[in-house]
Amino acid sequence: MNAGVSVRVVGILIAILLIVPTIVICATAFTSGSSVTFPPQGFSLRWIDDVLGDRRWMRAFGNSFSVGLLAALFAMIAGAALALGAARARGAVASVFTAVSVLPMIVPLVVGAIGFYLVYARLGLTGNVLGLAIAHGVLGLPYVFVNVLALLRTLDPRIEEAARVHGAGQLTTLVTITLPLLAPATVIGGLLAFISSWDEVVVATFLSDARFQTLPVLMYGQIRSGVEPSVSAVALVVTVVTFAVVLVVFSVGPIRARLARRSSRP
Amino acid sequence: MGRVLSIQGGGRRWWISVGLLGLLFVLLALVVPLVVVVQRSLDAGFGNFADALASASFLRSLGNTATLAVSVTVWSALIGYPYAYAMARSGRVLSRVLMTALMLSFWTSLLVRSYAWQVILNDTGLVNELLLGVGIIDEPLQLIRTPLATLIGMTHILVPFTVLAVYAQLRGISPDLAIAARGLGATRTRAFWTVTFPLSLPGLAAGSLLVFVLTLGYYVTPQLLGGAGNAVIGQSIVEQTNVLLNTGVGSAMAVLLLLIVVLILGVAARFLGLGRVLGIATERSAR
Repeated sequence: MNAGVSVRVVGILIAILLIVPTIVICATAFTSGSSVTFPPQGFSLRWIDDVLGDRRWMRAFGNSFSVGLLAALFAMIAGAALALGAARARGAVASVFTAVSVLPMIVPLVVGAIGFYLVYARLGLTGNVLGLAIAHGVLGLPYVFVNVLALLRTLDPRIEEAARVHGAGQLTTLVTITLPLLAPATVIGGLLAFISSWDEVVVATFLSDARFQTLPVLMYGQIRSGVEPSVSAVALVVTVVTFAVVLVVFSVGPIRARLARRSSRP
Repeated sequence: MGRVLSIQGGGRRWWISVGLLGLLFVLLALVVPLVVVVQRSLDAGFGNFADALASASFLRSLGNTATLAVSVTVWSALIGYPYAYAMARSGRVLSRVLMTALMLSFWTSLLVRSYAWQVILNDTGLVNELLLGVGIIDEPLQLIRTPLATLIGMTHILVPFTVLAVYAQLRGISPDLAIAARGLGATRTRAFWTVTFPLSLPGLAAGSLLVFVLTLGYYVTPQLLGGAGNAVIGQSIVEQTNVLLNTGVGSAMAVLLLLIVVLILGVAARFLGLGRVLGIATERSAR
């Protein structure tokens, strides 16, 4: 039974409320005035030019990008490994693998941030790409785990058995057969891990210093010191990158579904 | 022949060692830091916990957090349920439009959305300009740095979790059930409340639980939108560690927060199944 007219109208009104903040920020980034107002006064690219020409913002952009890529890599390796373990071990061991993989989702960011700071500072892992990438990698791991696990459930075990029958060792089978089959899900999980790193600010604040800041950290500092059109411009840049990655995820999604269907065909 | 069978049997050891590689990463990168937090919280026996629980501002932040979490959960249910219903029970076009709007909002960075609400709610923001323009008010309302601003921002950020959980549940309920109820003489309203709604409750419960638990750990949004007197637990913790440089007490507060979250999820796992709740948490990949 379909929703009544009133429910549909309510739905549309809520939809508008949901996207208004995104629209407001994107619009205020194009203002030609020097304050953040909506509707913006006139149209110009001056604030976006400003941000793209500013070395501090660009360095933060580079930092965020490097951290995100490396974090995604860590998440993909560890997440896929845990998914394989959880799917193919049995009993308590499998449960441990699953529990460990969902742990990063359960821990509140503030709590994790203090722990990361206490340990990573002692190891020289604050104020650089590597430390933050490790922290973001473990926080993004569940995205890879969930996606790979879902694909593993649909994978035909006989493909791997065929490789083994033909004399391939366990490692060869894993590297040349299993991992390529899991690649679409691993990449989707990795992209999601990238995004979760790309807009993460709490842990990043704890692990950054005056010389090493990511885009969200710098943005957070700017927002706290006052609302300014350049912040909107940065917000727009952050949003565009996120949406671009999401579009890739959504277009890879159907391919993955097709692959899964193909490999589960008898 | 033994080698073929080993994929099912003896090969298990191989897959365990593959899994251990990932386990090792989580242990070193996350579990060790958490253990260090617990250790630091206990560095004065239970003194840090006693200090934390004796602090009036911490107790106030506990209360503020509980109030906020309940309000965000309730508002997310009130707003998210009809949205999910409209999404699940309407034509292809409207359903797509609603899903797209939800995803656009969902995927906008949390920091960007908090900033957006600051722009919308400040004294010269959209809401005040509109109300002044229409003539409902004569001078700008104080919206920013109030509990209301935090509530609005947090609800906007978390409502997608309720929507996705309810939507998934509603999709699993055959529309034929409500049609049958109507065929037997029930009104549309009665069919909804006696057939569809009860069947959708597990989804609503899972989504609400997730929203509640997620709210407990928030820091950035309350910091940007809330006022000085309305701090939540996250802000109390950061104040201890970063402003007062008292990591011991800060760690004790962090351990308390973690315990609360684990306790709630533990109880929920018994009734709802943890997989269902956490499944939605990774639904950012939902399609």
